[in-house]
Amino acid sequence: MTTAVLAPTDDLVAALRGTAALRPDVDRGLAGGLRAWLEDGLFERLGDVGPAPVVVTSRSVADLPTSERSSARLRGALVASLLRLHVAGCPLEDPYAAAVAATCASGRDGDLAVALAELDADEAARLAAEVAAHHAVLSERLGSLPARWSPRCGARLAIPLAGGAVVLRGTVDLALGAPGGSRACVCLLDVTTSRHVDGTATALSYLALLETLRAGEPPLRVASLSTATGEARVCDVTPVLLAGAVEAVLGSLAGTRCS
Amino acid sequence: MQLTRRHTLAPDVLAALLCAAPGDAPDVTTRLRDPLFARLAASLGPSAPERLDAYSLDHEGARRFSSPFAWSARASRRAIGTAAARHAAATATSPLDAAREEVERLCDRALRGLARRGALSTWLAGAPREVRATCAVEAASWATRLLHLVEPLGAHPLAVGVPDAYVSVPATRISLVGRRDVAGTGPRPGLLRVRDGAPPGSAADGLCVDGLVAALATGSAPARAIGAWPDAGIVLIVELDGEALCHAARCLVGAASASGPRARSDVVTLAA
Repeated sequence: MTTAVLAPTDDLVAALRGTAALRPDVDRGLAGGLRAWLEDGLFERLGDVGPAPVVVTSRSVADLPTSERSSARLRGALVASLLRLHVAGCPLEDPYAAAVAATCASGRDGDLAVALAELDADEAARLAAEVAAHHAVLSERLGSLPARWSPRCGARLAIPLAGGAVVLRGTVDLALGAPGGSRACVCLLDVTTSRHVDGTATALSYLALLETLRAGEPPLRVASLSTATGEARVCDVTPVLLAGAVEAVLGSLAGTRCS
Repeated sequence: MQLTRRHTLAPDVLAALLCAAPGDAPDVTTRLRDPLFARLAASLGPSAPERLDAYSLDHEGARRFSSPFAWSARASRRAIGTAAARHAAATATSPLDAAREEVERLCDRALRGLARRGALSTWLAGAPREVRATCAVEAASWATRLLHLVEPLGAHPLAVGVPDAYVSVPATRISLVGRRDVAGTGPRPGLLRVRDGAPPGSAADGLCVDGLVAALATGSAPARAIGAWPDAGIVLIVELDGEALCHAARCLVGAASASGPRARSDVVTLAA
């Protein structure tokens, strides 16, 4: 798996989109083969299906740490709202206030809206400073995103397998480009407020696998932007990368058995 | 009931399915409407919901919201996104620009005093700029997803962003709602509706209900109901023959009776 690590000064969007003429042809047979591989592997590992589905996530596949801190969850939700506002081209004078307003009106994560309302002045000030710093990185790294690239935010993918006994879940923070053409042009971006870790590349390949299964064709590239450090990692989506993702999914289910 | 499950469908194939018209339309109006309405009226209990739709089947007739409804970016995205998709399809505008324009249009409508209290327009007009921007992005994401499924201006012309079908049940407060996002053209067009996540266990039943309500609203049954779950990459196709429509009627009565006195399961009898 080849992952390019971009310095904070490199143009992330240019690296993600690349040159149109150099994009590979879409292999529409790949998704069916990957799905069959997964189905066979799941049958071998899980046997008979149980009543409750086994949910697979980026974190479980890539063995990423799960933050239990509510401040980290709040920060992540607020930065996700800032990403939407950035895509909308909405100028922000106070990123924290804007993110809070957008998060509370999102209709999702009602518990986070309650938690935001319950912050005391010190906690709110600390969070506001953090969010402002993340917003500065986000704005600088993403630049302007033209509407003709069909940006879409916060897609929550859910791929049922093994008759619904296993569900592969993942969230694509930002997708660019339209599927259906002769050349791959869909790019996925995961925005994290944490630092990149060893499992980041695996998490990216997992997102690429989900998109391939969802759309029936592989995306062009998948990337992760850490708003904590400004570092970006970009992967070309290849059959090898997707095969690695299938193995990672099956590996994460080793020892799991539906009851 | 003939059900087909596909992982992905090319836009031209989907459009062809929406426009093809296999066989004659089942005579729903005279054979199913009156017995269905009578049984629904008899089945409803005091806690019956005010609307019955495919969602009701997933939740056994439970009320849609546990708390009073409030507008949010999520609640508004289909309303704005559908209008944006229609506009984008007709004018080759990007979905994001179309969504922004739709938000501005709704706000303008409210500011001119043309929106009632509690309407989406009123809420948007009073919301901060950041909230309106979030609504536009959510709606654009919805519209883009819809427009990636179908080609409105392809070889098979499609109507994008058609209104949902509503039917009032006489002598009750209940409305039957059939959700639809795209309709085909021709003598017996099909309907397409898009939903989040992965299909629930009752997905095929819900599609039958959407088809039945569309049939009751227009007097002519669609050829087929197609459900798309883009987040899961799954498309379900139900051929709306007499058996499927009778099944939908039973599902509706079942959902209604789940909220009140039990009704017999064989409440609607109609030969397929």
